[in-house]
Amino acid sequence: MTFSTVLPAPVPAAGTSASARAGAGASATGTHLALADDLLSLLRTTTTEPRPDEQLEALTLAVAADLPVLLWGEPGIGKTAALTQLAASRDLPLTTVIASVHEPSDFSGLPIVGDDPAVRGVPMAPPQWAVELVRAGRGLLFLDELSTATPAVQAALLRVVLERRVGALQLPPGVRIVAAANPRASAADGWELSPPLANRFVHLNWVHDREVVVRGLGGVWPRAELPRLVPERLPEAVGFARRAVCGFLEARPTLIHRLPSTETRRGGAWPSPRSWEAALTLLAFGTAASVSREVLALLVRGAVGDGPGLELLAHLDRMDLPDPESLLADPASAELPVRGDLRQAALEAVVAAVGARPERERWEAGWAVLVRALETGTPDLLVAPAKALAALRRDDWEVPQAVERLTAVVGVADRADRSVARVEAGR
Amino acid sequence: MEKLLAARLHAVKVRPYLAAALFALHVVEDRSVPTMAVDAHWRCYVSPGFVARTPVEELAGVWVHEVSHLLRDHHARGERYAREHGEQGPGERLRRNIAADFEINDDIYGDGLPRPAGAVLPSLLRLPDGLLMEEYLRTASMTGFAADLAWLDCGSGADGQHRPWELGPDGAHGLSRQQRDAVRFRVAEGIKGRPGEAPDGWRRWADEAFHPPQPWRQLLGAAVRSAAGAPGVGENHSYRRPSRRSAGVPGVLLPSLRRTPPRVCVVIDTSGSVSDAELGSALLEVAAISRAVGGRRDLVSVISCDAAAGVAVPLCRAENIALVGGGGTDLRSGFARALRSRHRPDVIVALTDGQTPWPSVQPPCRTIVGLFPRPAHAVNERNPDYIPEAPPPWAHVVTIG
Repeated sequence: MTFSTVLPAPVPAAGTSASARAGAGASATGTHLALADDLLSLLRTTTTEPRPDEQLEALTLAVAADLPVLLWGEPGIGKTAALTQLAASRDLPLTTVIASVHEPSDFSGLPIVGDDPAVRGVPMAPPQWAVELVRAGRGLLFLDELSTATPAVQAALLRVVLERRVGALQLPPGVRIVAAANPRASAADGWELSPPLANRFVHLNWVHDREVVVRGLGGVWPRAELPRLVPERLPEAVGFARRAVCGFLEARPTLIHRLPSTETRRGGAWPSPRSWEAALTLLAFGTAASVSREVLALLVRGAVGDGPGLELLAHLDRMDLPDPESLLADPASAELPVRGDLRQAALEAVVAAVGARPERERWEAGWAVLVRALETGTPDLLVAPAKALAALRRDDWEVPQAVERLTAVVGVADRADRSVARVEAGR
Repeated sequence: MEKLLAARLHAVKVRPYLAAALFALHVVEDRSVPTMAVDAHWRCYVSPGFVARTPVEELAGVWVHEVSHLLRDHHARGERYAREHGEQGPGERLRRNIAADFEINDDIYGDGLPRPAGAVLPSLLRLPDGLLMEEYLRTASMTGFAADLAWLDCGSGADGQHRPWELGPDGAHGLSRQQRDAVRFRVAEGIKGRPGEAPDGWRRWADEAFHPPQPWRQLLGAAVRSAAGAPGVGENHSYRRPSRRSAGVPGVLLPSLRRTPPRVCVVIDTSGSVSDAELGSALLEVAAISRAVGGRRDLVSVISCDAAAGVAVPLCRAENIALVGGGGTDLRSGFARALRSRHRPDVIVALTDGQTPWPSVQPPCRTIVGLFPRPAHAVNERNPDYIPEAPPPWAHVVTIG
């Protein structure tokens, strides 16, 4: 059998199924073609199974928040498949535009000369895909191969992404924009993204999961449960996001605007007032949909860059710590974090709160918190806070009874000191 | 248990920058663990017998050793290595564990932290110190040697392979990926914030933990491409020929997108401090990239420059060019000559070790500096306080090598 017999050829009688044609004694070509169709449809019959997917959750939230998303990933990794799933689940029509094969005028509009240009002007006509998007009123616009588009096309795309205008046409609010780019390592003739364009996107690294691919080729593809916004949580989410971002930027004002300086970070996310606003929006959406910290981390780091994003997340962790004043108010039932480093941070915050307003009752309550911490955890975490608290003592304050229960702490500290001294002496 | 915690305090005292990571570890007591081991979720499994027979100061070293596996992300790196090289199985696991130990042990001990008796060092295999786990894995066979160390087991935190005693991702008190990143980030920031305290190995880790260095070829390529392709240089709208779309709109003259190949001028530092091999590889790279951008060979020219600039030679004749020079460098003359030449370049690529004065004003074209890294303490006999200036902020700087 030659290959041409398997390939589709013009079929005289179209629209009949394989068995019908075989039964009617159709030509050999027709039978082969129908068999090929059967085989293909068998191959394409796959089932799905639910499976959590963090990157898809992050993408869904960013799309819901109406922020332009940029997916970075090697070619053929399933970016388009993910978007197809997203569009289907959200019931949005998907429009794909390959940026690298277009000219700048395709995004800024093509001039059409009318009867009297001096009076009427020359309108800039939008391309057909844009007209159809506007007519539908909603949809997902997928700009593929962004990094391989020339700088002039990227400049024209700025307007599409930021102002949502294609020529004279304004894209309706129901249209969401997602772009995809190949990382510099694999883009053989790629250009790098200019910092202004990079700053407008939420950058998500798209990676494949070995298990998902193997299982998918075996016939079972994952189906992610996409996050939904919970109506009751909306005001709370906005309050939380504002508190987090504003509190963080007050403490770290240098991070408000920082252009990427080193060559490795060019073309990626970087912090600016615009991207901080995006991070705030994403935090609010993530909180309202109750997604995990992992998804929030992907989104925040994608908006403002790795370093500032991680610092903001560390700030969120500190926001989760119990309030030192409420710990001091009721030491006996204090709930301290289980993780050691967080527990120590909470205890240090308690000591700092005592130091800020040193009164005898507060000092004693501080010791009570330490005793409580010893009852629920390991003693070595208490050494530094206990030392600091002891240093706050005024002459007329008597050491409270509870301190005697901290002997285990002193024992551990002494033992460590002796061991350090042994090493020092052995040198 | 108390002994183990005292050892942790010892470690925190002598390595204060690791405190957050050490305290973040969750201790799990388990008799089936050979000594001490960590899993990828920051749990630390400890054998009570091992703790009983080991002195506190040595236990402190073990704490730092185990937390180093986690901070340096050995489980993810080990898995990646195994996947890329198709190497699975218990022997390979042990090899990865040993290589990871080499990477850690050559620089964490000393300075208040005695080295435990069983610690493996690269010198056992006559390998140099200071390499990465992947480099040790590539260079050393470790066959025969591995049998003696079969007891060595730092858990899945060291090599990414699950152990029977481990609680797995769903077990209690594990750290999620985001929490692990947050702890590693805080430790890295702490080291960067007080650079005086930490040794070189840790400082290098802190610099690269979240921004792994990229191969310079790709960076240089991207820099040259973006400089040569920026609007107004390589490609722009031109009325010299009508656009192919003009047929659709009669009466309107549309500009077409035309590519004028960029002129690239490479200024090469031929002072004695740069080796021929370094220069040769970087020069070939620039030539290849500018060809890929659409430059013709005759548009790439080379100026060799020490204290005075040589003549710009087109690359087609420069392939076997003898790079004459030696002695001190003044790249300013090289820049001046490049800009004086008859066809002004669109892009200047300067290949240098950076021990040179730089032009005080930004040249009217895009500038890329390929920098050969040099140790911070530059040698200058006449002026021992001489510190070379950093490349100016208007240049794209790519570190080569």
